Amino acid sequence: MEQLHIRSGSMEHRLYVLDSHAGAGKALPQNIVVERDARVDIIIFVMPGVSAEVSMEVRLEGEGAEANICGAYLCGGEERVKIAVDMYHLVPDCTSRQLFKGLAGGSSRIDFYGKIIVAQDAQKTEAYQENHNLLLSDYAKVDTKPQLEIYADDVKCSHGATIGRLNEEEQFYMRSRGISLEDAKVLQMISFISPVVDNISDQQKKEQVASRLEEAVRNLVKGI
Amino acid sequence: MANDILLKIEGLRASVEDKEILKGVDLIIRKGEIHAVMGPNGAGKSTLSAVLAGKPQFTVTEGTVEFMGQDLLAMSPEERAWAGIFLSFQYPVEIPGVTITNFMKTAVNAHRTGKGLEPLKAGDFLKLMREKMAFVQMKPEFAKREVNVGFSGGEKKRNEIFQMAMLDPVLAILDETDSGLDVDALRIVANGVNALHTPDKAAIVITHYQRLLDYIVPDVVHVLKDGRIVKTAGKELVAEIEEKGYDNL
Repeated sequence: MEQLHIRSGSMEHRLYVLDSHAGAGKALPQNIVVERDARVDIIIFVMPGVSAEVSMEVRLEGEGAEANICGAYLCGGEERVKIAVDMYHLVPDCTSRQLFKGLAGGSSRIDFYGKIIVAQDAQKTEAYQENHNLLLSDYAKVDTKPQLEIYADDVKCSHGATIGRLNEEEQFYMRSRGISLEDAKVLQMISFISPVVDNISDQQKKEQVASRLEEAVRNLVKGI
Repeated sequence: MANDILLKIEGLRASVEDKEILKGVDLIIRKGEIHAVMGPNGAGKSTLSAVLAGKPQFTVTEGTVEFMGQDLLAMSPEERAWAGIFLSFQYPVEIPGVTITNFMKTAVNAHRTGKGLEPLKAGDFLKLMREKMAFVQMKPEFAKREVNVGFSGGEKKRNEIFQMAMLDPVLAILDETDSGLDVDALRIVANGVNALHTPDKAAIVITHYQRLLDYIVPDVVHVLKDGRIVKTAGKELVAEIEEKGYDNL
């Protein structure tokens, strides 16, 4: 179990692509501490066929600390993906963002649990959390539980969770322009997860991941 | 001449959610013709355009539609597009996350693949985009915008005509293209449609009002009422409708 300690004024940017079953999620840091004016970005992709458990506790311990935790999961079979993030705002002036988006196809099962805890002293906190899901099959199941625990009074916090399906009006619009139904679905899914991909700072890695995701999504669509 | 016929609709009946909207439509459109379909709200005008473009929510219960000799109703929406049908939507759909460039590149290359052609080279595609955007006076920065997201009514309709110019259809169906347009946008859109029209092509202009038909002058005018075409005449019918209204025809 890895501990990640981001020292004052430094920055850590980590990208994880979980593409094999063996201990998926084990490589991820489970305890993260962020000191004054430090920043951590964690970006996680759970590829098709992979069951994973992401369990993270993030502690913003120094003023001006920042944490961005985001991820996307692509499930088309019997995957079990569990995501649990506890985001502790312990001191004033810290910022956190959580964005998890995913595709739930086949008979996959997604559990999202995200909690933002703002301590009494942590004024001027900005904390955002979102979890959005596209349900691709009647047999897949998504359970999302966003939670806020706020003890300070001068904070900006929001959370949102949605479970939706591919929009058929969009599909017809694209098909009327000659885009095949399969390509339309691929475009819809890619655009759905692209806000997560956009968090990858390195341009080359971003393109690599984007092309792997496109291939994975195309295979998922063939399986629907 | 029979081989001048692009579209032949016979006895077309269609429903949505078990409610019959089209109750036996007959229509023949020949090369070079512009047809106006006018009618009161709820007459079935938009249903007719949706059925021709293949919208899955509509069920054809009776009748036939031939497009250039092919059975149109047996084709998927994308196959109809490849064959040369284009529908300009009354309410163009917003597609968050998909840029106009990416959308059009996918569409243009799908058409090319359908015709057995290689995909366009990136440079050639961008050149074509720039040319067609200028044609409808769309600013170049729209290329990077998400499809229709945050567009004004006029911008959405210009985007429709831009797509039409990119895809160069044989039969353009313009569903209430004038709704939500100011006079300037109306003129740009109408000029676009007129410039794309050739003796080999045809257009169906669906509209409630005369306004658009001052700019796109039809050869034939039909009145659709309660799911049937109740009157067909030349362009003089437009003025008659404007004067008498649909109830007194």
